Amino acid sequence: MINMILKMFGPFRWFIEKMGADYNQFIRILKLKLTLDDRKAGKFSKKQENTQEKTLIKQSFFQIFMGLFLAMFLIMVKTPFTFFFIAHIFLMTMMAMMIISEFSTILFDTSENMIIQPLPIKGNTVSLARNAHVFVYLAMMAFCLSVITIIIAIYKFGNLAGLIFVFTIFLNVLFTLFFTNILYLGIMRLVSGERLKNLLMYFQIVIAIFFMAAYQIGIRMIDKTAIQDMVLPVHWFTYLLPPAFFAGLIDAITSLNFDQSHLLFMAEALIIPPVAIYLTGKYLTPVFNRKLMDLEQGDRVSKVKIETKRNSLYYRIMCSLFVHTTEEKAAFKMMWKMTGRERQFKQTLLPSFGYIIIMMIVPLVGKHSIISDYTTGYKYLMILYVFMMVSFALCSSLLMGNCQPSVWVFKTVPVASPASFFKGAINAAFARFFVPFYLVMGAGVCAVWGIKVLPDVVIAFLAIYLITLLLYYFQQPGFPFSLEKTAVQGGANAAKVFGLMALSGLIGLLHFLMLKWFSFANLLLIPVYGAAIYYVNRIMVYRKITWKEVDRVNNFS
Amino acid sequence: MNNQVIIEIRNLQKFYGQKHVLQGINLNITSGQIIGYIGPNGAGKSTTVKILCGLISNFQGEISIYGKDLRKETLDIKKRVGYIPENAALYESLTPYEFMEFVGEMRGLGTEQTRDKAEKLMNIFEMKPHLNQRIATFSKGMRQKVLICSALLHNPDLIFMDEPLSGLDANSVIMVKEMLIHLAHDGKTIFYSSHLMDVVEKISDRIILIDQGKVIADGSFSELNEFSTDENLEKMFTRLTGNTDHGQKAEAFINAFEKYLL
Repeated sequence: MINMILKMFGPFRWFIEKMGADYNQFIRILKLKLTLDDRKAGKFSKKQENTQEKTLIKQSFFQIFMGLFLAMFLIMVKTPFTFFFIAHIFLMTMMAMMIISEFSTILFDTSENMIIQPLPIKGNTVSLARNAHVFVYLAMMAFCLSVITIIIAIYKFGNLAGLIFVFTIFLNVLFTLFFTNILYLGIMRLVSGERLKNLLMYFQIVIAIFFMAAYQIGIRMIDKTAIQDMVLPVHWFTYLLPPAFFAGLIDAITSLNFDQSHLLFMAEALIIPPVAIYLTGKYLTPVFNRKLMDLEQGDRVSKVKIETKRNSLYYRIMCSLFVHTTEEKAAFKMMWKMTGRERQFKQTLLPSFGYIIIMMIVPLVGKHSIISDYTTGYKYLMILYVFMMVSFALCSSLLMGNCQPSVWVFKTVPVASPASFFKGAINAAFARFFVPFYLVMGAGVCAVWGIKVLPDVVIAFLAIYLITLLLYYFQQPGFPFSLEKTAVQGGANAAKVFGLMALSGLIGLLHFLMLKWFSFANLLLIPVYGAAIYYVNRIMVYRKITWKEVDRVNNFS
Repeated sequence: MNNQVIIEIRNLQKFYGQKHVLQGINLNITSGQIIGYIGPNGAGKSTTVKILCGLISNFQGEISIYGKDLRKETLDIKKRVGYIPENAALYESLTPYEFMEFVGEMRGLGTEQTRDKAEKLMNIFEMKPHLNQRIATFSKGMRQKVLICSALLHNPDLIFMDEPLSGLDANSVIMVKEMLIHLAHDGKTIFYSSHLMDVVEKISDRIILIDQGKVIADGSFSELNEFSTDENLEKMFTRLTGNTDHGQKAEAFINAFEKYLL
């Protein structure tokens, strides 16, 4: 498989060398990276063999499944331009998310510098190999996401359309990758060291939100008086939208329409991605490399931060509300601090808050939106239950990290049940990140819909808290920040997440039905959820998470 | 207290997949001693230590520590044990104080008591000014000092050390060696696993040499050397583990790259 991937770069040898890289060294580095990836997932897992392969297969199926949702919608779209425009918006958004949440760590990975830097290898070669590595994975992901769309495209618009769509997928991957690269370089020019690391994290969060907003707005640009006939009106700014370049290229060739507008789209699609690659590879990567070295030195040259802040009143209140035993409190305290400092955790979690804000604001900016429509009825329930997104992000991001070598400490302290660590961890993260945000948004909902909705705000809070606990306790019991992303997103976990997503939908529906049933019927949910939370947090967690289960997932040897 | 058997190991075996890492270890360890546990790479030293500390629970054989079955009464045993791991792996976003606070509270020490002990122990290593700095900024030696302090925080009776001097500067090494001797005089038992033969030779009351998962020598240095003329532990180690051709190997190594250079 690896050799097959490497061979695909063969025809582009001249292009790679043109950008200042040594082709043979480029291939060797890329091969090393792909081989390491291939063996990485099992590194800390007890199931050493074939884990990565299975995880990749599971991930691929998950991505094909995600693509199915889009395809079900696209099947109704008649015009090829709109069809491929939507398909490319979807791809671009998914890829940008992927780069930001996962591959930015590869782009900024300096761990190999110790091995590669002493060798006589040009900086451009290393940077290009790094980008090619990300490209390989993004292309695979984009292809999996589009498999069903490709089949539908062939069925609806013919073989040629399907073929060109596949070609534009690769162009899209290149464009998205290098667009992100350029944005990163821009930010890296501004600051350096430790501040750069923090700034990059917040920048990534903003970019993730930006892409989500672009996706929401892009979809709303389509005139959907009837889904079947929906068309994308071409304005002057449509020529600036990359998905439109690619859609225009496919439309032009399949319909043999080479008018001025289509020619412009074609030119953009065929010229901009290669030029972007060339410019970035040739001129921007040396800067990127220099800045990466700064980043590597960041921890050492930055002023050492002294952590002497005393625990705030808010922390003390939350600690007494959410946890009870000494062990739970110790874990709560430790995780409260760590969640506030772990970059990968914040980078994965914080965009979900941004998405919530976007999903609340976007319906207000459409041309048919009237604020009074929005603020009547039970629409506030949707707003409240959108917060469920944070639960999913919270639980998975709490698992991800590179702290596996440090988990020995949990096993050496005399604690009867590891459940106290897990309970402390999820409650600390929930109290620190979710509660304040929900309080503000809940207050906003009460301000708009009136104080009468306060019980609903409380009910939704309890429901989300309950789902968060269930989601976390039913994940594989990896200690916080100790599992690789691929392991967290594995098939079994994904199935559980889907199950709980369905459950959360039902919980929202139940809330709505109770409101419709009779006045104050919704209040019945408060003791029900309260009892469920008590059971889950005080009894079930201790039965579910045992040392035996923990030993199965975590490797202490 | 002295000469009381505190660790009894009977036919300890451990498999990693098909690999038979420990092949029937039998040992009795008495209190107040420093046990030097040595062996070549892959001999099973760290695995033994991890089993004794309760990190690895899947093993064969019987182990009792302080008369308690390691499988059944792990918690009671862990309360009396301190462990310094081989790799200085710590949560980097925490400060030493925060890390020790967690360990201390989990071990039943109060916040004030933990703070007080952490400050005192860190001060011995001249690390007090770094108590509130994030561990991410620390060198390997500084991390090792944090590990040593956190293992001693609850005043354990039995201390397991897996290469504890790794990364420490010369002054700290001397200090730790002195500290170990004092701890043993106070009745603590120290199970010291290491590659550093000179240190093991100087501080150990008893040396246990394992190779390929089996104990091949056990006794004090003078006892082990009674029937041979090895001038130091390193020579004895080389002889007992059957690696006496170091000179030839070094010559072959030099030849290999000289040939390449020519």
